[in-house]
Amino acid sequence: MRTWLKIALCLFASLMFAHSGLASNFKETPEFAELVAAGKLPPVAERLPGEPRVLNLPELGLKPGRHGGAMRLLMGKQKDIRMMTVYGYGRLVGYDRNLNLVPDIVKSYDVEEGRIFTFHLRKGHKWSDGHPFTSADFEYYWKDVANNYELSRGGPPARMLVDGKPPVFEVIDETTVRYTWDKPNANFLFALSGGRPLYIYMPAHYLKQFHASYQDPEKLAEMVKAAAVRNWVSLHIRRGRQYRPENPALPTLQPWVNTTTPPSQQFIFRRNPYYHRVDEAGRQLPYIDEVVVGLGSSKMIPAKTGSGDADLQARYLRFDNYTFLKESEKRKGFNVRLWRIARGSQVALFPNLNAKDPVWRKLLQDVRFRRALSLAIDRHEINQVVYYGLIRESANTVLPDSPLFRPAYQNAWAKYDISKANKLLNDIGMTRRNADGIRLMSTGEPLEVVVDTAGESTEQTDVLELIQDSWAKIGVKLISRSSQRDIFRKRIFSGLTVMSVWTGLENAIPSPQMSPMELAPTSQQQLQWPMWGLYSDTNGRAGTPPSLEEALELQKLNTAWERSTNDKERTEIWHKMLSIYTDQVFSIGIVNGSLQPVVVSNTLNNVPEKGFYNWSPGAYFGMYMPDTFWFSKRAN
Amino acid sequence: MNQEKTPPSEAETEHFVSQAPFDLQSIEQLSEDQEKLYLASQWTLMWWKFKRHRLAVVSGLFLIALYLSVLISEFLAPYNLHSRHVDHIYAPPQAIHLFHDGSFVGPFVYATNFKLDMTNLSRVYTENRTKIYPIRFLCRGDDYKLWGQFESNLHLFCPAPNGTLFLLGTDRLGRDVLSRIIYGARISLTISLLGVTVTFLLGITFGGIAGYYGGVVDLIIQRIIEVIQSLPTIPLWLVLAAIMPVTWSPLLVYFGITIILGLLDWTGLARAVRSKLLSLREEDYVLAAQLMGATPRRIIGRHLIPGFMSHLIASATISIPTMILGETALSFLKLGLRPPITSWGVLLVEAQNINVVVLYPWLMLPVVPVIMVIIAFSFLGDGLRDAADPYK
Amino acid sequence: MLHYIFKRILIMIPTLLLISMLVFLLIELPPGDYLESYIAELQMQGETVDPQHIEFLRKEYGLDKPVLERYVLWIYGMTHGDFGYSFEYQMPVSRVVGDRMFLTTLLSVSTIIFTWLVAFPIGIYSATHQYSWGDYGLTFIGLIGLATPNFLLALVLLYLANIWFGTSIGGIMDPEFLNQPMSWAKLKSILSHLWIPVIVIGTSGTAGMIRRLRANLLDELQKQYVITARAKGLHPFRSLMKYPLRMSLNFFIADIGNIFPNIISGSVLVAIVLSLETTGPVLVAALQSQDMYLAGSFMMFLATLSVVGVLVSDIALAILDPRIRLQGGSTK
Repeated sequence: MRTWLKIALCLFASLMFAHSGLASNFKETPEFAELVAAGKLPPVAERLPGEPRVLNLPELGLKPGRHGGAMRLLMGKQKDIRMMTVYGYGRLVGYDRNLNLVPDIVKSYDVEEGRIFTFHLRKGHKWSDGHPFTSADFEYYWKDVANNYELSRGGPPARMLVDGKPPVFEVIDETTVRYTWDKPNANFLFALSGGRPLYIYMPAHYLKQFHASYQDPEKLAEMVKAAAVRNWVSLHIRRGRQYRPENPALPTLQPWVNTTTPPSQQFIFRRNPYYHRVDEAGRQLPYIDEVVVGLGSSKMIPAKTGSGDADLQARYLRFDNYTFLKESEKRKGFNVRLWRIARGSQVALFPNLNAKDPVWRKLLQDVRFRRALSLAIDRHEINQVVYYGLIRESANTVLPDSPLFRPAYQNAWAKYDISKANKLLNDIGMTRRNADGIRLMSTGEPLEVVVDTAGESTEQTDVLELIQDSWAKIGVKLISRSSQRDIFRKRIFSGLTVMSVWTGLENAIPSPQMSPMELAPTSQQQLQWPMWGLYSDTNGRAGTPPSLEEALELQKLNTAWERSTNDKERTEIWHKMLSIYTDQVFSIGIVNGSLQPVVVSNTLNNVPEKGFYNWSPGAYFGMYMPDTFWFSKRAN
Repeated sequence: MNQEKTPPSEAETEHFVSQAPFDLQSIEQLSEDQEKLYLASQWTLMWWKFKRHRLAVVSGLFLIALYLSVLISEFLAPYNLHSRHVDHIYAPPQAIHLFHDGSFVGPFVYATNFKLDMTNLSRVYTENRTKIYPIRFLCRGDDYKLWGQFESNLHLFCPAPNGTLFLLGTDRLGRDVLSRIIYGARISLTISLLGVTVTFLLGITFGGIAGYYGGVVDLIIQRIIEVIQSLPTIPLWLVLAAIMPVTWSPLLVYFGITIILGLLDWTGLARAVRSKLLSLREEDYVLAAQLMGATPRRIIGRHLIPGFMSHLIASATISIPTMILGETALSFLKLGLRPPITSWGVLLVEAQNINVVVLYPWLMLPVVPVIMVIIAFSFLGDGLRDAADPYK
Repeated sequence: MLHYIFKRILIMIPTLLLISMLVFLLIELPPGDYLESYIAELQMQGETVDPQHIEFLRKEYGLDKPVLERYVLWIYGMTHGDFGYSFEYQMPVSRVVGDRMFLTTLLSVSTIIFTWLVAFPIGIYSATHQYSWGDYGLTFIGLIGLATPNFLLALVLLYLANIWFGTSIGGIMDPEFLNQPMSWAKLKSILSHLWIPVIVIGTSGTAGMIRRLRANLLDELQKQYVITARAKGLHPFRSLMKYPLRMSLNFFIADIGNIFPNIISGSVLVAIVLSLETTGPVLVAALQSQDMYLAGSFMMFLATLSVVGVLVSDIALAILDPRIRLQGGSTK
């Protein structure tokens, strides 16, 4: 009996010791040493929350670093400064590099029945200006923004609604908030963790001054006039943009804070003194003092990167820049790595099942036609020609890195087989051909598939050229038509486009807890069934219901996933959906696992050699935690 | 005349008429050449003056050859426009050799060995000096359809049966650059010619009206010209190209582009026409025509314009380079012709990135025919302008 | 004299008004408006679009008003120095402009000076040594400059400058000086970057100017008074400099009117390629996203610059050449 008491006491003591040791072991950031000494800034122990998020770098396979340095990034337009919010990746909950969902800004969270979410904040957590971050900031958002008629005409954002109903929001105490829905909200956490996150909090202490309910009307009118906006609503929105940090005065929870007022060709982000993460040695993160974002023409960026103007660059670099960058490596002091893009397919064709023309609609909805087209693509050749044979030939589906992967999905109707394709087309009844060898449709017209592109990628046009040749072998003529962004989409929505080309599944490394909504008609943005997606998105108010049994099935499964409460169920649903999706060839995938060049300065550490460069999940660099990147001596 | 005698009466005065045959040339002897010079018509004089400008003559011949080649592009190009070679992507140009191992073999190229460098992900091509691919002439090669109508596969020169002949290298899909340049000539040269025709028509119409009527009409047209000239061209193009519906077939897009290009330069021509007309208008023959009841259109068209047609032709010739450059600029802004149509502009835009400048510079070769054609047109225009006023 | 200047300035006003109408019309012509391209962009990035928010924005930006009303508001605003609101940058247009107007003017003026400096001696040489090898050779070089597409030349020069001189790629100055006030170092940095666009844009205009100067000078040299002067024993050089050249100088001034608009529009393309901080790239981006007021105001600025340039050259010409001033209308 005594032994266990002794052990317990020892453990307890050591824990206390460790905790206090940890607390007293916080190292001051050199940049702030002066300010702290002068009393202008609280010391690090007070700047951090009572229970900061401790990142044990050696455990994560990273090297503990030193404070200092300025990192240069190159971006295109001013809007791109939102990438700092993406890369910074300070989120309520976020994905770590192993694709596990972990609490980040919140200390912990509980989910009951998939519909009751309780978040526990970190006590003493402060905004970047030193003001406390508490449940009041969640309350302000919910009461005064999301449910304020003028600021949110349509009510709370769609991602917070389940079956059109908002949650019940409760403030339990200063550091605890709870959201309760009637039915499970399976996408809630995923939405909070996204590259562009769902924001459910706002710096109340700062934004109240722009809100009609809290500010003196005269003063408010003055501010509106000074800012040259229409009314206080625009002012509030303008000043309160958290995602695109154009307002240097807006407090934030991200690792770096914007200090430049637009417009400018260069934005300087400085360290957030109140950031909530520390390394295992007690150094407050981020390591890097400042991030300089240089704007310019996006076409120049490969050249500029090759000339050594960036310390960390992936955006606007394409695979075909690799050779050029590799050649400049030694001269300019950086190295180029190849990360993997986790998309279902690098280039995918989307037959428009909602095409206006009835003959085409019937043909496209005939699964044999889609299968034939998919079989007649020589993916090997495309891989060799465009990607040096480095990536994977596959249907539009998940990557092997996902636990949901099965070879059957990858190979579904994806092996090059001209005779099989010919047979399928003969089965449909298009046996007659014209003088050029092109099959004739039931109307007597030659089978000419016009594929619309958004006109922005030579990669897509190249792949289409290669496909053109192989489709000619089965008597199908491919005509590619370049369009412009907005017209591209409009034509698809209105059914004028017969087939379009775009990238495949956005998230190709899903785990069962992530939503399979891409596989079912859920949104107007899906290029193969915009009308069916719109129907689902607007709950039947617009669009048309799916007319294909299998698409309807996918929708049902998606809804079932949202209702499900355990992982086993979710995994089953995923597999059902994946198998229907690939077997029915609702989109024609070509190759996936393509590679993204990432340029890293030789003095920058903790950037992984190999990783996933993906928007969702991953937030590009976000999940690899740029706040842990650091410069060896001789920083810029 | 003798002062002593008074003039005799008519009966007595001898009326001297020499019976000797009259020689026209006895007073002043003209050489052959001089005679030709004085009797020559205006056009002949212009031709002679033009011949003096040797470069202009050379340019003229060069351009005529080029335009004629447009008719037989398919025959001249060693490869079809779309033929791809997966094993020869980004292959550098192959040099033509005549001598192999010391003996004369006839024109040939060496085979190339291809290796994929996986560290740099670059394609490395080395010459294989043991394998020879002699160039064949008047041979059967890739299939093509002459003007999209007549099937054939006769080429002026083609590679050896299993060999390659990439005289200017290949691009990222393994397409022969030389063939694409030859095909591109067809589009670039004709589009600029059509554009110039549009310019011509617009310029003559507006300039003619302004110059002939003068006064208020002139003032208004001049203001319009000024307005259009002040508008920055690039934004103008952007807007005009944005209006062009995407659904148009490539052919319609092509014509749309010619019209846009034609709208570029007509103001200069209009101004020249106007100023010339303002001075010529005062001539007597115009007055005569008016008195005889000729309509203004007839006067302008039949009497005034031909007087300085030569100037107009010279100006038009100088506009063509602007058209060609305009087409390349439109392609650069992604507004003009787009693949799969191939023009020099499209080829140059594909070459306009840092990869090409550093690693595959041969893709910039389409700039050479562009430069040559523009220079040729400039010299031709110079010569024509010098010749236009032969009486100087 | 003053009467002439006054008349010209007076005529400039309706011209500018007409230009503004045309500019506005051109921006309105392409189908859709800013919000549609904004929506398309959001969708491209896979982000959700809230239709309510879009409606709100539409009212906010005044895009629901009829065309005429928007035009009148814009013109009215412009006379008060309010150039409208940029949707893309989310701030008044006048704030977006910043340094750009200054840099654009700097670029255009430098290019003109460069063109003069190059065209002048070459033009004279060509005229006096007509049909010689020197004439052909120099014209040839000038033509190569004209014939090479600007965007390609700019890219190649950029790369070479980076390799040989270490000039940083793109931009009109080194990044450190971007938001700093003007200083010697900043000026030096600007100059070291400026020569590329000046050469690229300038070479296009140089060839034309050389040939026009040559033609003009040739015309003059054949006039009677030159022959008389030579016959009377005047030194060839003086007979060249004293009279014909002066006449041709007029031409120089007049030619500004010709080349200025070309330089301005040529600079747009080069500015895009080289990523210069002039009005060009912003204008093109604004047109593509249909950021109406920004595009319109910039176009007005460029057009006004053109018109003013032409005006200046016309006035200068009038000062130099009395015949222009006294030019009458038609007689019939």
